[in-house]
Amino acid sequence: MKLLSLSGFVPEQIYDTVRFTGYQGERNIQHYCGYANDFISQVLNDKSLDGAVFPKSCDSSRIIPSYLDGTNKFFYQFLVPSHNSEDAVRFFAKQIEDYKHAIERKIGEEIDDIEERIHIINKRNKAVSEAYMELEECSYKMYLEMIHANLNKPLREQTIEILSCGKTYETRKRIFLVGSFLHYTEVADVLEKNGLKIVGDNLPESGRLRRMFTDETGGNIYETIADSILSHKLSPTQNNFEKIIQTDLKEIETKKVDAVVFATQNYCEAYDFLYVPYRKELEKRGIPSVKISFTNHGGANNLSLIVEAFAESV
Amino acid sequence: MSLSIGKLKTKLMRDYYKYFSKYSKGEKPERKVAWVSSFAPVEILESLDVLYYYPESYAAVIAASGKEQEMFEESNRNFLSLDCCSYSCCIEGSILQMNGPRGELPAPDILIATNNQCNTLPGWWNVLAQKYHVPLIILDYPGEIENEKMAYEYVLVQHYNLISVLQKLTGNMLDVTLLNEIIDYSEKSVSAWKKVISYLVSKEIKPTLLFDDINYLITARCKSETSELYNMMCEEFFEKEDVNDERIPVFWVGYPLWYHPQRYLEEELAEFRVVGSNYITWWNLNYQGEDVFERLYNAYNFTFLNLSQKTRNIRLRECIKYTGAACAIVLHNKSCKCDFVSARDLDIPQAEIDMDMIDRNYMDIKKAQKQIQLLKEML
Repeated sequence: MKLLSLSGFVPEQIYDTVRFTGYQGERNIQHYCGYANDFISQVLNDKSLDGAVFPKSCDSSRIIPSYLDGTNKFFYQFLVPSHNSEDAVRFFAKQIEDYKHAIERKIGEEIDDIEERIHIINKRNKAVSEAYMELEECSYKMYLEMIHANLNKPLREQTIEILSCGKTYETRKRIFLVGSFLHYTEVADVLEKNGLKIVGDNLPESGRLRRMFTDETGGNIYETIADSILSHKLSPTQNNFEKIIQTDLKEIETKKVDAVVFATQNYCEAYDFLYVPYRKELEKRGIPSVKISFTNHGGANNLSLIVEAFAESV
Repeated sequence: MSLSIGKLKTKLMRDYYKYFSKYSKGEKPERKVAWVSSFAPVEILESLDVLYYYPESYAAVIAASGKEQEMFEESNRNFLSLDCCSYSCCIEGSILQMNGPRGELPAPDILIATNNQCNTLPGWWNVLAQKYHVPLIILDYPGEIENEKMAYEYVLVQHYNLISVLQKLTGNMLDVTLLNEIIDYSEKSVSAWKKVISYLVSKEIKPTLLFDDINYLITARCKSETSELYNMMCEEFFEKEDVNDERIPVFWVGYPLWYHPQRYLEEELAEFRVVGSNYITWWNLNYQGEDVFERLYNAYNFTFLNLSQKTRNIRLRECIKYTGAACAIVLHNKSCKCDFVSARDLDIPQAEIDMDMIDRNYMDIKKAQKQIQLLKEML
């Protein structure tokens, strides 16, 4: 069964899904977050897909079932808890277990390889973490595209390589990249062409993979998975801006970052809200920042101009 | 001696806004202050003697006073994107300007938001928490899910936690009997309001009145005076003549236009008569249950915007059917994605209009007029 998934809240430990990275086909919806709209459009239009898995974590993802209700495809929506208490972990764990059963019913087979999958995921994430540590020496765009390419493959076919490009970036301004899933990877290219070297990020696809490790030593397997998804990399939809900002600031200071770039999808309120206190904290530390918003389905208006002006001001 | 409708309304409003102007002059309330979102279980706060204010509601007041644009500009200058919910932009602006039509919202000692209407509010409340450095509680209501026992237990623990935090904050202990009485008041308010809005179908009542007067159900639903007020309104409506005219019965799907003097496009709808609106039913919460916690769960987990599309479609169709509306004005609200999809699969002709509930510059009025004209032709 081929499932399209949206967001790192979908547990890879249970079943292979194709992670949504972008869509070039006909669109069905003209409003709100282009990323979610494109996801819906692909699920509706792509005949090779049997269904979709996605969270209820922001307003755009919340209303996805309203558009998919009429289809005959399988879909499952995870209600992502708005906090990280033990009860929230248990609540999320029960959904993961329920999701497993829903898939088993659909495919008519028992899923019995969760522990093995956890092991593979941990190994892959360790490799992502190692690749991330080499960012100073490699192209960030290549790093990000490598992650995206892997998320499109079945778990057992994923391979992470450390991609040294052999370039020296010493003279460049050091940038920390913040934002939602960056399907428009050209942004990284534009930044680097303007002399801005991305040395760290908190993007979901990068942050979640490199930080998420699932305990393999036992206990309730669903709660272990739930805990690893909910606690290792916080999304702004999990209502802890304070922790997100403090975690990032620590890395920003350690890496002696010169400036921060916020790259978000238009109408992505979670990141739009996060930007307000985030920017204030950066201002207190004298670190400049800029926000780039993508229009639906791809690029940002005047991206090169914005980046050029910002690069000069840093 | 009981008060008149006008005096009751004045009393409820005065009680609610008592501290706004005082706070602007530097006087703080003696009681602890919570800022809450529109579907927070305020009965718990009321029973623990916490003052609670609704920023969303105040944003509507700001728009009605014509000041929302300056608030938007102020918040945008402070890097809050105008793509965000306009309630949040408006309140952010008013906090920065320290100014509003009735004074300032007294600063909160605690922030309480829920996700039973949207997922925007928790994000906005996080911005407020960073600003005020006070505790933030986000109540997570799963809505309709298969495993209802799991949902109930999950909500129950959160309600316990809320009580515990508020007890520590106020030094007061929860009296369950009092909480039950307060929930009774809310239930009575809802029951009386249902009767009030039922008269919109048969009597000559302007929707403006109901769009404005639902405010008491939002901000004062657990006060005893609210059901008293609504019952008196029912008596007054009962005495009115029945409507008997040729205007087309139309259903208003979505928010009122808070910036508009009539809260709806009265000038464009001369040939229509608004006979119903789903907005005025949103706070018709179901407080049934065996104990206080079950009552609160039923009321706040199953709010209209927290229901599945299927259930919402059924509810909306029933609502429209009751009013006998021949058509609908369907509003696509830039600020409310969740309501945006409320009106899918209606069985009556409709004019779809893009709008924002408080940003008067958002609607393309010519386009709206064209849509309404097309609707007339279709009918």
